[in-house]
Amino acid sequence: MIFKIEDVTVYFPYDNIYPEQYEYMVELKRTLDAKGHCLLEMPTGTGKTIALLSLITSYRLSRPDSPIKLVYCTRTVHEMEKTLAELKVLHDYQVLHLGTQAKILAIGLSSRKNLCVNTKVLAAENRDSVDAACRKRTASWVRALSTENPNIELCDYFENYEKAAENALLPPGVYTLEDLRAFGKNRGWCPYFLARHMVQFANVIVYSYQYLLDPKVAGIISKELQKESVVVFDEAHNIDNVCIEALSVSVRRVTLEGANRNLNKIREEIDSVQLVGRSKATDAGRLRAEYNRLVEGLALRGDLSGGDQWLANPALPHDILKEAVPGNIRRAEHFVHVLRRLLQYLGVRLDTENVEKESPVSFVSSLNSQAGIEQKTLKFCYDRLQSLMLTLEITDTDEFLPIQTVCDFATLVGTYARGFSIIIEPYDERMPHIPDPILQLSCHDASLAIKPVFDRFQSVVITSGTLSPIDLYPRLLSFTPVVSRSFKMSMTRDCICPMVLTRGSDQLPVSTKFDMRSDPGVVRNYGKLLVEMVSIVPDGVVCFFVSYSYMDGIIATWNETGILKEIMQQKLVFIETQDVVETTLALDNYRRACDCGRGAVFFSVARGKVAEGIDFDRHYGRLVVMYGVPFQYTLSKILLARLEYLRDTFQIKEGDFLTFDALRQAAQCVGRVIRSKADYGMMIFADKRYSRHDKRSKLPGWILSHLRDAHLNLSTDMAIHIAREFLRKMAQPYDKTGTMGRKTLLTQEDLEKMAETGVQDMAY
Amino acid sequence: MAGEQVEKRVKYKSSVKDPGTPGFLRIKEGMLLFVPNDPKSDSKLKVQTQNITQKFTKEGSNKPPWLNLTIKQLLGRSHIFEFENYPDMHACRDFITALGKSDEEPKKAAVLTSTEQLSIKELEIRFKLLRENSELQRLHKQFVESKVLTEDEFWATRKKLLGKDSIRKSKQQLGLKSMMVSGIKPSTDGRTNRVTFNLTPEIIFQIFAEKPAVRQAFINYVPSKMTEKDFWTKYFRAEYLYSTKNTAVAAAEAAEDEELAVFLKPDEILARETRQKIRRVDPTLDMEADEGDDYSHLMDHGIQRDGTMDVVEPQNDQFKRSLLQDLNRHAAVVLEGRSIDVDSEDTRIVAEALTRVKQVSKGDGETTKDANQERLERMSRVAGMEDLQAPQNFPLAPLSIKDPRDYFESQQGNVVNVPGVAKGLKRNVHEAYGLLKESIVEIRATGLSDPLIKPEVSFEVFSSLTRTISTAKNIIGKNPRECFLDRLPKSTKDEVLHHWTSIQELPRHFWSSYPITTPYLHTKVGKLKDAMSNTYSKLDAMKESVQSDLRHQVSLLVRPMQQALDAAFQHYEADLQRRTAKSSGGERPNGYV
Repeated sequence: MIFKIEDVTVYFPYDNIYPEQYEYMVELKRTLDAKGHCLLEMPTGTGKTIALLSLITSYRLSRPDSPIKLVYCTRTVHEMEKTLAELKVLHDYQVLHLGTQAKILAIGLSSRKNLCVNTKVLAAENRDSVDAACRKRTASWVRALSTENPNIELCDYFENYEKAAENALLPPGVYTLEDLRAFGKNRGWCPYFLARHMVQFANVIVYSYQYLLDPKVAGIISKELQKESVVVFDEAHNIDNVCIEALSVSVRRVTLEGANRNLNKIREEIDSVQLVGRSKATDAGRLRAEYNRLVEGLALRGDLSGGDQWLANPALPHDILKEAVPGNIRRAEHFVHVLRRLLQYLGVRLDTENVEKESPVSFVSSLNSQAGIEQKTLKFCYDRLQSLMLTLEITDTDEFLPIQTVCDFATLVGTYARGFSIIIEPYDERMPHIPDPILQLSCHDASLAIKPVFDRFQSVVITSGTLSPIDLYPRLLSFTPVVSRSFKMSMTRDCICPMVLTRGSDQLPVSTKFDMRSDPGVVRNYGKLLVEMVSIVPDGVVCFFVSYSYMDGIIATWNETGILKEIMQQKLVFIETQDVVETTLALDNYRRACDCGRGAVFFSVARGKVAEGIDFDRHYGRLVVMYGVPFQYTLSKILLARLEYLRDTFQIKEGDFLTFDALRQAAQCVGRVIRSKADYGMMIFADKRYSRHDKRSKLPGWILSHLRDAHLNLSTDMAIHIAREFLRKMAQPYDKTGTMGRKTLLTQEDLEKMAETGVQDMAY
Repeated sequence: MAGEQVEKRVKYKSSVKDPGTPGFLRIKEGMLLFVPNDPKSDSKLKVQTQNITQKFTKEGSNKPPWLNLTIKQLLGRSHIFEFENYPDMHACRDFITALGKSDEEPKKAAVLTSTEQLSIKELEIRFKLLRENSELQRLHKQFVESKVLTEDEFWATRKKLLGKDSIRKSKQQLGLKSMMVSGIKPSTDGRTNRVTFNLTPEIIFQIFAEKPAVRQAFINYVPSKMTEKDFWTKYFRAEYLYSTKNTAVAAAEAAEDEELAVFLKPDEILARETRQKIRRVDPTLDMEADEGDDYSHLMDHGIQRDGTMDVVEPQNDQFKRSLLQDLNRHAAVVLEGRSIDVDSEDTRIVAEALTRVKQVSKGDGETTKDANQERLERMSRVAGMEDLQAPQNFPLAPLSIKDPRDYFESQQGNVVNVPGVAKGLKRNVHEAYGLLKESIVEIRATGLSDPLIKPEVSFEVFSSLTRTISTAKNIIGKNPRECFLDRLPKSTKDEVLHHWTSIQELPRHFWSSYPITTPYLHTKVGKLKDAMSNTYSKLDAMKESVQSDLRHQVSLLVRPMQQALDAAFQHYEADLQRRTAKSSGGERPNGYV
């Protein structure tokens, strides 16, 4: 359908639209007009993504003189693929109605691991070795060498891409990662470098958060984006965590050992270069040339060719002063000495019996007094190392990760004086018998990482299904939105059925509170709940547990007591494990089991990878059971430090933040069952603590509005009864457009009528 | 016997002195063929096998195994075949003899196959069917044991049932049970430390499917290195070591025993399969790709110990395998289903077949283009929001129903909902009988044809019968769910249902016996008629015995059954009269009506 919002003609690829989608677009348009930032909460299952994409692309079409670029950030690669799939539908529709002028270039961007088509490079085990294998074939000095020595293997795709030079362009269209690979294979061009090159020309870029938030990556990928861009963070309820993670580093024993080995290797390289240098003028010149360059300052990052880039500086660009590298580390040997002293100092600090907590300022000053390394020297560690590794022409970067980590740490600790703390723990709190000392530099201030994004781009949209309380996010991220709204969901029928289960059939309370979670009665009642539910719920059932270890334990107990067998009589069982590959396959099989009608149960973990981004919509999830309240581990030193920081800076109470965090995770888990209003699903919060008002009230409004008072304190048999009734009701045919004067599905006519009378008349 | 043939390596001699041409002798029904090894040789032979007389050398005599065949049609010309050994010759001789016999007495042979040569397998199937189906058993008891029907007649109408298993297999893959194999608990005798595992072919299949390494080990070791029993003993020893979770002991034992180590090591074939599968996974849930994109958690970057990620004991120990992995693997295998079509008890055959299937699917993996295409299509389909757009129509897959009667009963509700069915029903019954009568008339006019009664006609008759009784179940009750039959006393209900089945059975045989061509059929019809009238009177008695308020409905129920019987009686009477009239009028030589 095609309709107008004020002066913008919106092309929306469906015949109908939800009223909240329309309102969402209206608010979004106001934000774009005001060139400001906004915060929009809209329940899952109301088509946020398509509303967003269709408004922004239509906005671009209506302002041909100042075209805006859309930078769409997703949390995961599979969400990226989903977004691009929706964009494809939209793009086809717009081209159909507008012709070629609506054509855009939209690309997804990912790492080499996901884009490479060179089978030899792809054979490498993990991401870092793929990166290294690629560098081995594409680094400028390797390619220079190969002109003399034909035995050096290069990557044909990269060579072809380089040969095509300026002509290597993608024709307009929407490209998923798969499409990019196919295109690259077809043309013989490297898809990874092609995609990176196309970033500056693309109208829509879809990539992961970190490509904007993490200075290590953003420095390479996103530095060329213009100010006239709209940045969207989708599913942004965890954005504060992503921000603080981007600026956190830790150092372990293995890191130090590895770094020492790396230094030895570097030392050897330096010696050999100097040795050879006596006979060969060119090699000797290399180190001298580097020295000269460093004297002049770091004009380093600008003049690197595509293949030669490492991850960028871990600190944010605006925090790095543009000055020359301090004199004491300009010479390669001296720099190696400084690093040795740093490693030694870190090693001493790790040898601690007690937990230590320190601010960066005091850490730097004690480092200065004990190891004689100044703050300014620390700050340049990263850049100096990168320069050195380029000079020494090191390609197997994956082997040099430990020393890079240490240098990242040094640079961060030298750059930031506030918003961070250093915590040294001799062992993990939960496993005190295993000594595993760790020195962590942890960031508490989420606004640091996102600040450059807010400063650089004219509009930043932060949106998710759960952003409650919505006033908290501007404080955490320190920005002022021009629009901040939470939308309700207009329901055609009560298609979600949240329940709070507090007791088992035997009336004993159930909870994952620490003192209760291993109680056999609780474990049994949790099991019985599932056994009963799988026998009445069709297709897919998803269960979330509070942690891996808890899930591991409870499944083992269920296996021993025969509960698992009873469950398996009804449905197949799939489980999320810590092995990502296995989990992915399990999910794939789970979907197939739901597709073929056999039905399945998926066991997963709140805060795990599955809860983060996999949808259990339609028949893939008719019921979600949230076992317990997914609190963070409250004794964690880092968490305590962060809570302290939040209290001091934003006056947020510890308890409030913990509850807020736990409930947003729970809401995120259960919220994945609904995709559209035609969909339906049940949510069971199985813990007695959910019945308390202070916990429950933190749930997003769209869940709370369906949580009836009668469903707040249920036992298993009551829940079964309600579930039966609900499923029977949902099986009936219904009127999609809404009943009793409430329109839940708008047609073109409705919209035109509304445009005359004003949005306010919309009944919902 | 049709289609059978014997093929032997022989030397063909046109006379006793002839040194002979080496070649193959192939004997088929009605045909004898000699193909020389040398294609240029002109001694190719092809003769009819009718009226062959054969002479042969005796075993133990000094002469080589010769078979001399004389064919009468060719003026007694004889052919001598020299076989390599005596058993070959005897096989050929017996075969030719059998051929000759079957030519002479075709009828006798046919009888033989039907009764005496009934294979044990067939009998087994019959017994199994009777065991599983109590209703069938009752019918069998009632009619076969009371000699109303013979065993063969009874089963002749149920050929479909007998052949059903094989038909079903080709239609639908047999599923696997959801139970885990690790769920097999050993049985102990309680006194010693011995445990016993009972392995069924199904369990073995599951073990092989879930653990390709075990399968491979079986192919490698059994029977060359160890016996099957030793193999499984070792396997369960390894499983026991897993279950103790004592990795040190497992490692120690694996170091000593190289075969045991195979079971304890991580499964490499599985790992390879996994790597292959992950490439074909739906990109919208590919979390592995995520990992490749995550530079925030580059070694030691990001937050390590803030309590969001929890710690589990390190998993790097190679002798450790988690229950969770087993569960995932098991569910995946169950989902795949029984991919092989080997129904063998032989473990080795199963193992090899599985390996073959895996290799084939690996080969398919290389041609992923179609799969890719399909995946992309599915993705774009799912990307749309379903209720904002016009509904999509997906193609329907035909239902394969295990027990038609379950289905039939579940469908009754639908029948009731159609208005006017009750009205149309009577007409249907009449139409059905009309059709039946017509076809009888037709048979009378044109004579015997095969099959005796058109399938459509008999189908009409039976479906109308079935429908009447089943709808009667529902129509009468006020609430369609409340079945009328349920309101009857249990004994009466059972009786009605039983009569219904027997009335399905008896007229079927009755009608199929017409026209009466042999005395055998004559007696059979008589017996059937008696049985039917017996049932008829029983129905009458039942009608009287029920309570007055139910009597009307019962009689409604019973009426179509009685109608069916009445029709049979009428036909019987009419036929009998005509017979007596004819027999007084003059003999018809062939007995045809």
